[in-house]
Amino acid sequence: MKYGDIGRHKALFGEYTELRVQENRSIGINLLNGDIMRNVSVAEAGVSARAFKDGVWGLASAPESSDGAIADTVARATANARFLAGKEGRPAGVLPSRPGSGSRDLSTRKPRLSQKGYIDFARALDGYVVRRFPGLMSRMVGVNLLDMEKTLLTADGADAHSLVPRSIIFVSMTVEEKGEPVELYEAFGGLGHFEDVFSDPADLHADIELLGERLGQKAKGAYARPGTFDVVLDSDLAGILSHEAIGHTVEADLVLGGSVAADYMDREVASPLVTMVDFANTALGKTCPVPLWVDDEGVEARDAVLIDKGVLRSYMHNKESAAHFGVEPTGNARAYRFSDEPLVRMRNTAILPGASKLADLIASVDDGYYFMRASNGQADSTSEFMFGVVLGYEIKGGKLGQAVRDCTISGVAFDMLKTVAMVSDDMSWTGAGMCGKKQPIPVGMGGPAVRCRINVGGRA
Amino acid sequence: MANETDPVVTARKAVDALLAAGADKARASVSRKRLSELNVDSGKMSLYRSTADVSLALLALDGSRKGAVAVNRLDDASIEAAAAEAVAMARSAAPDPANDIAPARPLERFASGAREPDSGRMYERLREFVDWARHERPLANLEQCILDFTFAESAFANSNGAEFAEDSGVYSFQAMFSSRKDGKVSSFNGGGASHRGLDLPLADWGGTGELMRQSAEQLETSSVEGSFEGDLVVTPDCLGDFLGMLDGIFLGDYCQITGASPWKDALGKRVASELLTVRSAPLGPDIEVGANYTADGFRAENCALIERGVLRNFTLSHYGSLKTGKARCPSGGGSFAVDPGAAPLEDLIKDVKRGILLARFSGGMPSENGDFSGVAKNSYLIENGRVVRPVSETMIAGNAARVFESIRAVSRERKDFGAMVGPWILAGGVSISGK
Repeated sequence: MKYGDIGRHKALFGEYTELRVQENRSIGINLLNGDIMRNVSVAEAGVSARAFKDGVWGLASAPESSDGAIADTVARATANARFLAGKEGRPAGVLPSRPGSGSRDLSTRKPRLSQKGYIDFARALDGYVVRRFPGLMSRMVGVNLLDMEKTLLTADGADAHSLVPRSIIFVSMTVEEKGEPVELYEAFGGLGHFEDVFSDPADLHADIELLGERLGQKAKGAYARPGTFDVVLDSDLAGILSHEAIGHTVEADLVLGGSVAADYMDREVASPLVTMVDFANTALGKTCPVPLWVDDEGVEARDAVLIDKGVLRSYMHNKESAAHFGVEPTGNARAYRFSDEPLVRMRNTAILPGASKLADLIASVDDGYYFMRASNGQADSTSEFMFGVVLGYEIKGGKLGQAVRDCTISGVAFDMLKTVAMVSDDMSWTGAGMCGKKQPIPVGMGGPAVRCRINVGGRA
Repeated sequence: MANETDPVVTARKAVDALLAAGADKARASVSRKRLSELNVDSGKMSLYRSTADVSLALLALDGSRKGAVAVNRLDDASIEAAAAEAVAMARSAAPDPANDIAPARPLERFASGAREPDSGRMYERLREFVDWARHERPLANLEQCILDFTFAESAFANSNGAEFAEDSGVYSFQAMFSSRKDGKVSSFNGGGASHRGLDLPLADWGGTGELMRQSAEQLETSSVEGSFEGDLVVTPDCLGDFLGMLDGIFLGDYCQITGASPWKDALGKRVASELLTVRSAPLGPDIEVGANYTADGFRAENCALIERGVLRNFTLSHYGSLKTGKARCPSGGGSFAVDPGAAPLEDLIKDVKRGILLARFSGGMPSENGDFSGVAKNSYLIENGRVVRPVSETMIAGNAARVFESIRAVSRERKDFGAMVGPWILAGGVSISGK
């Protein structure tokens, strides 16, 4: 429920201060082989205040939002900032300001389902999986729902409210092949309440059929060979490439903390075919999977064009890093729980589509791989990245061959991006991702397919 | 002695509320936490954060149907509302005979660590570390350091009469760093540990200072040449990743319930080298920061998971135990302590003809059959018994079960992270590939 009239607390502020009232509500249901292994509802609500003095911050939080708790929280945050400033204070100018305002409530207007409704939906999908793939070793169907509702007031004039829901269904299947389990899974959904994202379990039947077909191919597949190969990364991989390999290295706090990208501004870091953007809320005319209009420092969020035709043009900033670099803040400061401080986080990071057709990308590879689905990824200050790949196929003579088992691909991003030779003209997003950096946070990742050269960690 | 702010009183109240709402069996966990945290960002003190939070986690059983609700409210109205929701959720679920609660046990209370942070000492320790790093590790970038103290008052109660309460104060330190010189940047690395007190300088927590020294060495790296099958010397910093695979792929609820665990029928059988003993020891003494009772309401007991290579326990929860018909893990899982071996670390290195000293593993999610692959980070090439040079763009791939089987030596030296303690381990049969 929206917290009303937060502006009346401004009189409590003694230093530059941000006050945030927040509630995260989540539902998790897991059906493992038809049994409800997890059936949980979580609500976490409270208030935090963050105060800035002489270059340092103080933050305090409390698990309630009564007037008394808010007054106490602001006072403790101010005292924390003054305590640290008394020991570590340093000259600091005024933080840059571009206060955002307004309310963005993306709640469904439809009647909400009950917990039983969500369970029944999952059960219907589980039943379909059993009917269509009776020989599975195990199966899992899950429903993960998260609403994040924030009301924010800042000393420089931001007064904003948002409710952003996310609804994900995942389906995992495992078969036994020569005595060993082989698994494949897929996540569906994204921005919006469940009722707006999913309407009928039958809508996912075709996706489940495809998942089962690919699992069968993977089970009969081979291990990838180790070495460096020409590969086609499908949009799922291009999205995680944007996020992990490049995105983290150009988060301004990591740039200040030692990222190799500190030396690369306005230099060519990628093929001219590569343009990469961290979108605030709208991309190519459509709302992004994780839209943000006002960040958690109260900054009106804007797109950050990170790489423009191969040249590094911007980092992602909070107020403090923007002041350090003498640029406008981009609105990338985001916090996960009510008690968390805003960190520089990505929002919706994507490589923009190019002009080639996916079929032509595949046809252009003589001996390599077409990698389609990632499990996870990690970044590094050097831009050396790693992704787990759970679905891929060999490419021989420009044609798709047999599937490959789970493997890992890696490279040095600012070298690898220079090998991008083709970019497909289509694009897709995933809104199921969760990024970890002290705190978790939902992120959107997207892109077209790209052809590039990459290291594959296969079996010798 | 109990009073209105005693979490045990709140937990009992929540159990009563669940029963009043119609639950046949009920369980409640309550905690009140206070966190004090100092942050360093980009080498500078940046944030002093103090948070307060509460949590109430309820489990309702309607017959064998379960529903769970967690909220961060402890007032009576919130407890009653959460209890009613948990019961409604249980009634939405399907029966599962494996849902049950722990048997009765009289209230036991435990206390460890301080109740309040020594804020002045925390500041001094962190300031000392930043100054030490500036003088002793001049190439290091302190990307982020976090020193925090958490005091938690926790309680557990269920409708069978099992009750526990624990007050716990813990300091935790984490440092993320890389090194930079002449435009070159090393791979980031992290160090840290959890302890009950602030007796040690932070550079000694989890060997953080030594990892920072290595970070400067890692400014000059190169890939290994070609692909070959070689050895791994896994450092204690990286051993946790392999213990995580042990838990997730071989021993835990999910892999045992699905039957995907390669060790599902191996209890009492040899699964690893006889040099390997892995204990789950939440009561200490090896583990300083453990737990006295399990999440599902049993008194925790230390146990061996693998003893001289023989599988002694799965890490099954109460639910997992009832679901599979196998014994519940007496420790509740986690709190890994790997026994030291007899060999000095230098002998492990001498025994390697060609392989990797693996200090950090950046890998994909391991497969259900134990296959893993990823990048060797902050790691070194070993050739003919000598550590030759740091590596980059070097990938390793193998199978976790075969790594545990192929252990040839375990070091007598161990690293203590407070919540985990382990040695260096030498194993073979891993695929290593460069560019």
